[in-house]
Amino acid sequence: MTSLQIQTIPSPAAPPMAEPARSALTALRRGWLHLLLVPLALLWLSPLLWILVTSLKARTEVFDPAAGFWPLALQWSNYPAALSVAPFGTYLVNSVMVTGGILIAQLVTITLAAYTFARLTFPGKNLLFTLFLLQIMFPIYATFLTNFVTVREFGILNSLPAMIVPFVASGYGTFMLRQAFRQVPTELADAARLDGCGHFGILWHVYLPLVKPTLIAFGIITVVTHWNDYMWPLLVTNSEGVRTLPIGLGLLAKSDSGADWTRLMAATVVVVSPLLLLFVIFQRRFVDSFMHAGLK
Amino acid sequence: MAEVVLQGVSKAYAGRPTVHAVDLTIADKEFMVLVGPSGCGKSTTLRMVAGLEDITAGRLLIDGADVTHAAPQKRDIAMVFQSYALYPHMTAFRNMAFGLLKTTDLGKAEVDRRIREAAEILHIGHLLERKPNQLSGGERQRVAIGRALVRQPKVFLFDEPLSNLDAKLRTRMRGELKRLHKELGLTVIYVTHDQIEAMTLGTRVAILSEGRLQQVGAPMELYMHPANTFVATFIGTPEMSLLRCAVRPEGNGSLLQHERFLTALPARPDAAEVFLGVRPEEILISQSAEGITRGIVERTELIGSEALAEILIGRDRVVARMPISEAPESGEEVSLTFDFGRARLFDATNGRALTSI
Repeated sequence: MTSLQIQTIPSPAAPPMAEPARSALTALRRGWLHLLLVPLALLWLSPLLWILVTSLKARTEVFDPAAGFWPLALQWSNYPAALSVAPFGTYLVNSVMVTGGILIAQLVTITLAAYTFARLTFPGKNLLFTLFLLQIMFPIYATFLTNFVTVREFGILNSLPAMIVPFVASGYGTFMLRQAFRQVPTELADAARLDGCGHFGILWHVYLPLVKPTLIAFGIITVVTHWNDYMWPLLVTNSEGVRTLPIGLGLLAKSDSGADWTRLMAATVVVVSPLLLLFVIFQRRFVDSFMHAGLK
Repeated sequence: MAEVVLQGVSKAYAGRPTVHAVDLTIADKEFMVLVGPSGCGKSTTLRMVAGLEDITAGRLLIDGADVTHAAPQKRDIAMVFQSYALYPHMTAFRNMAFGLLKTTDLGKAEVDRRIREAAEILHIGHLLERKPNQLSGGERQRVAIGRALVRQPKVFLFDEPLSNLDAKLRTRMRGELKRLHKELGLTVIYVTHDQIEAMTLGTRVAILSEGRLQQVGAPMELYMHPANTFVATFIGTPEMSLLRCAVRPEGNGSLLQHERFLTALPARPDAAEVFLGVRPEEILISQSAEGITRGIVERTELIGSEALAEILIGRDRVVARMPISEAPESGEEVSLTFDFGRARLFDATNGRALTSI
């Protein structure tokens, strides 16, 4: 009873304050983080907005200082015009196949390799793992030449597999997943063995569900990297049927008359939208899975 | 019928032996407790029975079948882990169903029936749809036991299952485990480092030290007749006091000579130097009466119903137990008598119990 009374009595220590001032202070206290985050968000959005705005301008407006930021009239025609320059539909399909192929292949290889490094013992394990780590330290361009030779030897130049095969293994992904697997208590694997699981069963039923946040994080990194990859696809392809979206964009930038910025930006919007959409969808999952992991 | 027989079971890691030729038979419906200090090889022994560790040498028979090299799921055992090892991404129900579905071809209805039945026994029926992180420590423990129960295995293995619970809950779960063992007629091998758990739960207790089996027997047998000084001091709190004495033959019997006292023994122990082992309740102290020797009280602890006094006799320190009203002051000199009807002797060179006193 006494404690209840104490709660209802206003604290004499608090200085009397006018009602509006107090509510402003509370708002500030609650919202101070937003003061920081809103400008950051705007900064992040500005290039995207600029791309979008430019893609809707007339060609003459782009470099005209008098024209202002917003287009005079929305030039939706930039989009069909941009898409008619090159077969973007084919590029899109190719991009999806290449990125998807790499993602699936990587998930299989890094899962198996990471489990091996995390839980099995065999001679030469540490040496092998060091080699995996070394692979992360090399810039990808350092291996372009040898990879190119290998791909040519395979006879798969100028094909979709040429863009997938060099990336089916990932030292970075293996390392990331191995660390995650090592966080899983060994007793869970023991329990699964008693429950009748072999190595694949343990991996599938216990390890993979528990490292879902790591898998999603890795998936996002890999999709973004290979969706945007320009150099390697450019090196190993030379016909329209197997090109990917970033190369299509490059075609627009290198038109004979110099870059056509309105069409280029229209095509850029088309190219980045699937990725943005993916991000919006997975952002939820991302936050969700991390919050989930925190509870355990 | 589910007898477990360990024949000379040994374990070596990279040539370094950790468990030395353990011979142990766990009878059907027996509650066998493996107890010892940490690193004594008790968990390794249990994991060898489970099939989670390879057996380096020796044989393991479950129900007469040699399962020395059989895969864990082929041994018809179930295990409850110290950390419970519940799958965090599955509900309690799924946790219990998982092993059943993997190792048997029971229909869904039968699996469901078994889980409901186990849940009833363990009072966790209302928790089945929760995930482990929504359960308290005690509830997780029950789910883990339930997961073992639904398998209806020949042998239940427990690896320090109560050590993550608080003291009160531990006592309650101890009673619960005892009830389960009795009501369901389970064969249990139970590992713990807690001798109270060992004494209260086990129908028999096996004591291990440094990978070697020290003694196997009923709890009170170990308490009253320890086979060596290790068992003598490991079982019982406070531990048994050991007083180093020389043995001198005297007529048909012998004289036991301690630094501070001399006493006659009717028998003649087969050793020149012995330890006289006395438990706290076997020491009688008094302020006035003549005892066998005298000692200085170093410290007195009042622990509620009774008092414990640490008494220095020469260089040896003994602990005596007495009613609160008879507790001496620290610094006081008291006279002591030992209950020679229960005290026992150990060979001072190898620590083994001597048969005659």
